[in-house]
Formats: sequence, structure tokens, C-alpha cells
Amino acid sequence: MHSRLIAFGVAVALLIGIAGMQPAWAQIEGWHEIAWPYPRDGWPAGRAFRCAAEACGGEVELYVRPKIGFCNCDTGVADDEEVDRVADLDLISQRFVPLAAGQRIEVADMRGRSRAYDLTMASGAQHTAVGIALSHRCDLLVAVAQGEADAVQMRRAALEFLATSEMTRWMASALGGR
Amino acid sequence: MIGRIKLVTLLGIALIACCCAGAHAQQQVIGAPPEASNMKLVGSNDLQARSAYQPTIHRQGDRYIAYIGHHGGTDDIPDPINPLTGKAEPNGTSIVDVTDPANPRYLHHIPGQEGKYEGGGAQMVRVCDGKALPKGDPSAVYLLRTFGSEAHEIWNVADPANPVLVTRLGGLKDTHKSWWECDTGIAFLVSGAPDWRTRRMTQVYDLSDPAHPVKIRDFGLPGQEPGATGAVPTELHGPISTGPQGNRVYFGYGTDKGGMLQIVDRGKLINGPKEPTLDNLRFPEIARMPMSAFNGAHTTFPMLKMPVAEFAHDKDGQARDIVMIVDEAIVNECGEPRQMVWFADVTTENRPMMISSYTVPEASGSFCERGGRFGSHSSNESMAPVFYKKMAFIAFFNAGVRALDIRDPYHPTEVGYFIPAITAATDKRCVTIEGKDRCKVAIQTNNVETDERGYIYIVDRANTGLHILELTGPARAAAGLP
Repeated sequence: MHSRLIAFGVAVALLIGIAGMQPAWAQIEGWHEIAWPYPRDGWPAGRAFRCAAEACGGEVELYVRPKIGFCNCDTGVADDEEVDRVADLDLISQRFVPLAAGQRIEVADMRGRSRAYDLTMASGAQHTAVGIALSHRCDLLVAVAQGEADAVQMRRAALEFLATSEMTRWMASALGGR
Repeated sequence: MIGRIKLVTLLGIALIACCCAGAHAQQQVIGAPPEASNMKLVGSNDLQARSAYQPTIHRQGDRYIAYIGHHGGTDDIPDPINPLTGKAEPNGTSIVDVTDPANPRYLHHIPGQEGKYEGGGAQMVRVCDGKALPKGDPSAVYLLRTFGSEAHEIWNVADPANPVLVTRLGGLKDTHKSWWECDTGIAFLVSGAPDWRTRRMTQVYDLSDPAHPVKIRDFGLPGQEPGATGAVPTELHGPISTGPQGNRVYFGYGTDKGGMLQIVDRGKLINGPKEPTLDNLRFPEIARMPMSAFNGAHTTFPMLKMPVAEFAHDKDGQARDIVMIVDEAIVNECGEPRQMVWFADVTTENRPMMISSYTVPEASGSFCERGGRFGSHSSNESMAPVFYKKMAFIAFFNAGVRALDIRDPYHPTEVGYFIPAITAATDKRCVTIEGKDRCKVAIQTNNVETDERGYIYIVDRANTGLHILELTGPARAAAGLP
């Protein structure tokens, strides 16, 4: 009896484990999850993804995380300067210059802004990046994409990925279930 | 079979443990008495059930007047009724006569900016006598307050029941906790200048003649100025100046994240080059002390030349320059790293060092389960001799106010506390769980101030009002009060 119970438990654990190991976004063409590449800062680590060059017009990495309690509850993401401040660009480089004024965006019932930047890396190399900040009540969902694609392609790829049902489910959960 | 019995036993133990944890949650209920140690209630006022931010107590002749700034209204009651006028008024500034602390008398409400929570109200307030200001009207008493996020205002409150607007400095995108030197009139206004890259920075004004404000300069951390690019440093929360004598301004940046203490030469700040260039912003800075990314600097309260008994026989360093730094908790039910109190030794100004810390033990009240915020928010800012460099009072949200013996700042010790009872006016605080709000009602002591008589004033963010307290027992003795 005891051994049967153990065997049953092991089987359940394996099934749960396998299900857990199967990332939902494995189904999203071109994207796969990678390890969060940055050291711990004031916010818990988020999730990081890489998109293959064929799917995104150049290899793109996307870093996404919630920032709970970091948003003006009434005004949401008010302006481009707020995107400069909150969108985690400084994780990649402290030196970035906006390419143009940002744009209003809406992802999964959350409103915010995105803005494209030129990043200067420590090596001196230039990267393009797109910062994204979305508000939900007093919380933020921020994302930053960087890579080889041009800013327009990168922005489109990042927003499409965030809008997939798998990602919107995760974002909702990360923001407390919304 | 034995395995099954063990399993059942373990489940039973777990169930009992869960039940016990619930029983110890100490959820506040209406009608229950306040929780207190070495502090007692003297008087209270409901402040018309408005969410309160900052109290300032000012002696006007033989009267003591409390001026209390408010946040905006709530979803349920955006504009509470002012019983004195019978009108619904957006939360602004409450004016309460506390000459008799056992019977505080509500005198007047100055409406603030329309808007809810942090989006409205008039949170901050400072008061200077006209006769103290170099060019003030000697018969006037001036109240400096924020008007929501859009302006600073100065009112004449010589007759506190009938305030009169004197000046308005508008066109801002945010405001917060400013500092005003009454002997010089120099004000360090926390503003959001529209062209700066941060919500909150400093605008230095000469308000020695409150009717005719003179702007001196804008100031902030390099990277926040107009036209800058790259990472934007943490926004300002508030400064405290030691005036021309001390010649220092202690700026606190951040609320609950990426905090920083910045020590600035006041003379260079006021008289130095004013264009907001990188060099000019760096010119008055003496030192910065970055804190953990987990904590912010809401209040940076200087206590200079503090004699430390332990060092009394040392040939050097017997007295230390200390800055008490208070973080602000902003997320309900412990949804962030603990926000607490830190003491920095800034005696060697260019090498400031954190030397001690203080927090309320969470388990002493199961505070993470009570509802609302748990963690520090602010300290008293009065430098009246009755408590200065001896006792500090810390607003700790659902843990009420905590009295600290800070005579040895290397080892601050809690000597008392007071957690007011909730009332029918106390507003709920919610967290989102699986997409639904789950709300609890708990006291949210937001700010604390003291007066020169030794009374302690605490105000509640969750609409419970003003409580006036005094120390008792060993805490009173530690403060040297009779």
C-alpha cells in the first residue's frame, strides 16, 4: 500500500513537473524564454525572451516585469519622460537617447506608452531598444526590447508578443490577477 | 496503516497551525481599545474623515494651532461634507485649535485640488510667522501648502478660522514635501517643473516676502535636468535645511526604492551658478549616500553634534552628526521589501555611513496580515528642544506611531507605541487576489509631529483623524519630561 502511494505521488509530481516545464510561449513562433540576465535591483526579476532573427527581422531580446505600486494611480503613464524613467532601459545601459516622441499603446486592456531609443553599450556599440510602460491601477508592467531589428519591427514584434494570450495571462497573474 | 495515521496527524497539526495563525492576526475591530505602551491618548479629532498626510503644529500667541494637509478624497466619498459650511469640499487643509489638547477644536477647512487619493488634496503644510520672515507682514502668519499636484500656495492664517490666500505658484506637474526657513524666508519647494525629466525636483525660492515670491533656481540630480538623456536618477521626496548657521541641506530621494541621501552646501546652492547644467548641479553637492535598491529616503532628518555617551572618553569623535532616514512603505500587506528607519553618521561628510536601523517586529502584531501598509513612513520634524536628539517618533502605518530613544543613535531603542482604534470612518485597504479585491480595515498612521510642550500628534491616511498623545512611564523619563 505504502509503495503504491509513493508511486502515485511520483507520477503526479512528474506530470505536474512536465506540464510546468512546457512553456506556453514555446507555441509562439520564433520566441523562447531565456534566463533573466540582470543582477537583482529594487524590483524582483521578471521574464526574458529571445526572438529569432527570421521571426522578428533581426534577433530581439525582450525583458518584462511588473512594478507593483510604482504608477500614479490616476494619471497612469503620463508622458514620454515616464517611459524614460521606468522602462528598465537602464538595466541594459545607463546611456540612451530617444529616437523620437513615444506612442500611446494598449495591450490587454492596459494603456501606456512606448518609445524607441539608441543605446550606447559599455563597449561603445550602438543598440536600438524599445521601452514599453503599461499601467494597471497603481501598478506598472514594463518591458524593454533590444536587438538587431530596426525600431519599428522591434516595437511591432514586442507588442505582438505581449498581446498573445499566453503573455497576457502571465501579466495578469503577475499584477495580482487583475 | 501507520503511515496513514501519521498523515492524518500531520494534517491535523497543519490545520491547527493555520487556525492559530488566523487567531493571532489581530485584525482591528471597531470598539476595541487602542494598543499602547508608554504612550496615552490625550485627545482626538476626526478631521471630517479626510485622509491625512502632514500635521504641523504652530504656536500663535497663546494658542497652539494644528495645520493638517490632506490627500484627495476616496472613491466612496470624493468630497466629504464640511460640517462647518454644510458643503462638500475637496480635501485640503484642516485647521484645528489644539491649545487644549484634550479638547481639540476644528476651526476651518481650506479646500484643496479636486481629485482622489494622491491625485488631489493639499498634502504638505509649513507655517512661518510674518514677524520672523525678513520682509513679512509682522501681523501675518503664513501657511505654505501644496495645492494637489499643480501649485504651491501661501495663505495668511493670522486668524486661523478665516484664512486668506496670499500667493499661488502654479504650472507644475507635481509637488510634495517642501521646507521653509522661517528666519530667512528661503524655501526649498518640491515641484515638478514641466520641462524637467522627473516628477519631483527642487525649486529654490526666496519667500521672505510671501506676497512677492522670487525664484532663485531649479535643482536636482544630474540627469534630471531638461534636455538630459540616459538613465533618470530617483526623484526627490523632500529636503530639510539647517539654515545659514548649519549651511547644509539634506535631500532625501526615493520613497520605497533606490533611495539616496544627498548632502548639499546651502550657500553654494543659493548663491552658485543657477543654470541647470551638469556642472552647476554638481557644484553645491558635498556627498551622496546611495541606499539599497530596496529602500527609499522619505525623510532625512539631521541631528548634528549629538553627544554619544559610549564615545564620551574617546579623544576624538565624542559627538557625531547624525541623519535619521525614514523610508516610506507604499504597498499594502507587505507586498515589498520592509521599509524602515536608518541612522547615518555623516560626521565625515564626504564618507557618510549607515550605522544602525530600526523596524517594528512584524510578529509583535502580525502586521503583514492586518491590512493596509506596514512599514515606516515619516518622522516628526520639529527640532524643539523637548525631544530633539533624544526621542524620535516614527509613523509606521498599521503599527501606529513608535517612540524611539535615540540618545545613542548607534543603538536606537523603542520605548513606546500607540496604535489608535479604528472607527466607522476608517477606510478599507485592498489587495488584488486572483483578480478580485480583498479588503481589510486597519489604522494607517501616516505622519507624526510634536510640539514644544511635548505632545505628539499623529494623523491617519485611512480617514480616522487626528490623535494627540503624550508619553508615560519609562518613555517619559527617557525624554526627561516630568
